Amino acid sequence: MSLFLNEIGNGIFLGAFFGLVALGYSMVYGILRLINFAHGDFYMVAAFVSYTILGAVIVGNSHAQWWTVAWVGLVVMIITGGLAMLANQLIYRPMRRAAILSLMIAAIGLSQVLENGVLVAPQWGATYLVYPVTTPPSGFNLGSNHYTWGQLIIVLISGLLALGVYFLVGRTLLGKAMRAVSEDRIAAVLMGINVDLVIAIVFFIGGALAGAAAVMTGVYYGQINYLMGFTVGLEAFTAAVLGGIGNIGGAVVGGLILGIVQSIGTGIFGAEWAIVVAFGALVLMLWFRPTGLLGERVARRM
Amino acid sequence: MKKNLVKSRVLTAGLLVTGVLTIAAGVSAGGVASAAKKLSPYLVGVPMPMTGAEAEAGTQIYNAEAMAAQFLNHHGGVLGHQIKLLEQDDACDAGTAVNAANLLVSKGVQAYVGGYCSGATLPAEPIIARAGIPYVMPAANSPELTTGGYKNVFLIDPSGSGDGIEAAAFFKQQHITKVFVIDDQSSFGVAIAQSAASAIKKNGGTVVAGGIQSIPATSNDFSAVISQIKSAGATGIYWSGYFSQAAQFATQLNAAGVIGPHGTAKFVVADGSVDATYITGAGAAANGTYATIAALASGVGNVLGSNADKAFNRAYVKQFHAQPGPYSAFGYDAIMALALAAKHVKSIVPKRVIAGLHALHFVGLTGKISFAADGNRLGAVMDLLEVVNGKYTLAHPQP
Repeated sequence: MSLFLNEIGNGIFLGAFFGLVALGYSMVYGILRLINFAHGDFYMVAAFVSYTILGAVIVGNSHAQWWTVAWVGLVVMIITGGLAMLANQLIYRPMRRAAILSLMIAAIGLSQVLENGVLVAPQWGATYLVYPVTTPPSGFNLGSNHYTWGQLIIVLISGLLALGVYFLVGRTLLGKAMRAVSEDRIAAVLMGINVDLVIAIVFFIGGALAGAAAVMTGVYYGQINYLMGFTVGLEAFTAAVLGGIGNIGGAVVGGLILGIVQSIGTGIFGAEWAIVVAFGALVLMLWFRPTGLLGERVARRM
Repeated sequence: MKKNLVKSRVLTAGLLVTGVLTIAAGVSAGGVASAAKKLSPYLVGVPMPMTGAEAEAGTQIYNAEAMAAQFLNHHGGVLGHQIKLLEQDDACDAGTAVNAANLLVSKGVQAYVGGYCSGATLPAEPIIARAGIPYVMPAANSPELTTGGYKNVFLIDPSGSGDGIEAAAFFKQQHITKVFVIDDQSSFGVAIAQSAASAIKKNGGTVVAGGIQSIPATSNDFSAVISQIKSAGATGIYWSGYFSQAAQFATQLNAAGVIGPHGTAKFVVADGSVDATYITGAGAAANGTYATIAALASGVGNVLGSNADKAFNRAYVKQFHAQPGPYSAFGYDAIMALALAAKHVKSIVPKRVIAGLHALHFVGLTGKISFAADGNRLGAVMDLLEVVNGKYTLAHPQP
């Protein structure tokens, strides 16, 4: 039983990362019906950008330079948000009248460009890079599990960011505009909503969340690599589908469920089954509830 | 011209006779003009991971191979043929490796010298065997590589089954009976984990959590696994995968208080995890962890950071402005083995060179080199390393 509870704790931590990246997938899908396969690579690029900035501002490998990490994290969120916005302006916006399949292929192309761009970039390249800052091992015990303060902070930040997005979309005028564009783009235009600006903002928010997740990944896991976006992208996409793609709360819930299912799968069946269990859960979900846990609204439209 | 050729032949023959090939001699005797430009080049295919997680190790081995080729070419090449290395990225990926093998064979390579990840080396074996050319592997050393019955395969790095056996012996000596064994699902990792598990059981220990565990090579989160380790009460943890994940595993084990100042368990990794990046990646968490690796001739390369064989390190650093990796010396020896085998049989015809490799005896940077009939390196001895203050040292564990 204690193993079970511990694995739930591990899963929530894991799910915090999945959820943040899944939010970006889900928001873009909600507004454009586009599965942005390059999203995981925004996260990867953010990890490298933060690596370079932190390397420049931090002397030596030191723990607990929280304020430095915080402002670098904010800068990287803005940069990654800008990158996502730029991708939208340069690639997706000119293709808006094209079939959605063309957009998805463009997204896969962009993903390749970003991965290989980082691969050939001087100072970055193909190897695993060691992140300049790591979280100290001190923390607290819960059950027989040891959690570090860094882990707690990461989960709290993820939760706050997700809540922020939830309120932004649900309670503000901008959010109302987003929902309107998602519901019916032409009607939204007729109501005087600047659709292009709303879409650009959605890309910015998605990119910024991926940026935050990337910095936290670097700080906690300590290593980054040019292929890290692919794995996370796949898992976050799965999380978004589990929760109901296009649904903000669904992305977070999906991320947590995926993290917990993977961890419990490891605890019960062994680590080699973690992915089988996670994707098995996805298949079951698509079988019994194809809209995902919270995703009815979108499905009705499809 | 003729005189030069004779001179270089005499020099290399001399090296062959004494059986001692030191870089120091090579470096100081450099500059002998080649007299053999008219003969066709000796085309050697080199598949190495140049991209992906293992790119660093691949580059370090390739660089050393290039150094060896350069050294030989300075001294007249192989029987007058200048060695030409044709490099192809195998990305440590089975599919890419097969493409690389087919491409290089179609380019007419007369020998194949490369391979770091066994998973990428294994699927190329039948292609290279069909081409009938020698396949000398500097670093790949999964026990599976020599079970295919191929007569053209030669492992410079002693078979990885030695890693598992050495680790099991260490656990036994430490009175550790509950060992958690985990691999990375790679061909190498799985085979090494199996050899470790069977050696642990033979020594009277148990592999906890219901047997060998494995985690995808793309995973960077070990928290679920660490909970398993805690709940099983393992006091020994064995990792058979590669260094980048090893660093993350060690870091997270340390943070969870399983190893390190607050932990009591011992963390041992196989030779795929012996790399400077493991130590930089894991930081302080690397201290007090153990690794097994084939005994190198007095710590060649920068693994042990010892003073031994400074000449190789110096020459490498001078040329590439970076430290050699743990397998660089193996790469150097792989090219030397090929060249000496060709000289021994006085031919670069692949079939003859294969026969030459089977009969080869020489002392390279990594010690005495000769091969069993199945291609495994003979007389391999394993070393146990411990990371102390951020450096690999030879371990002398107290029970």
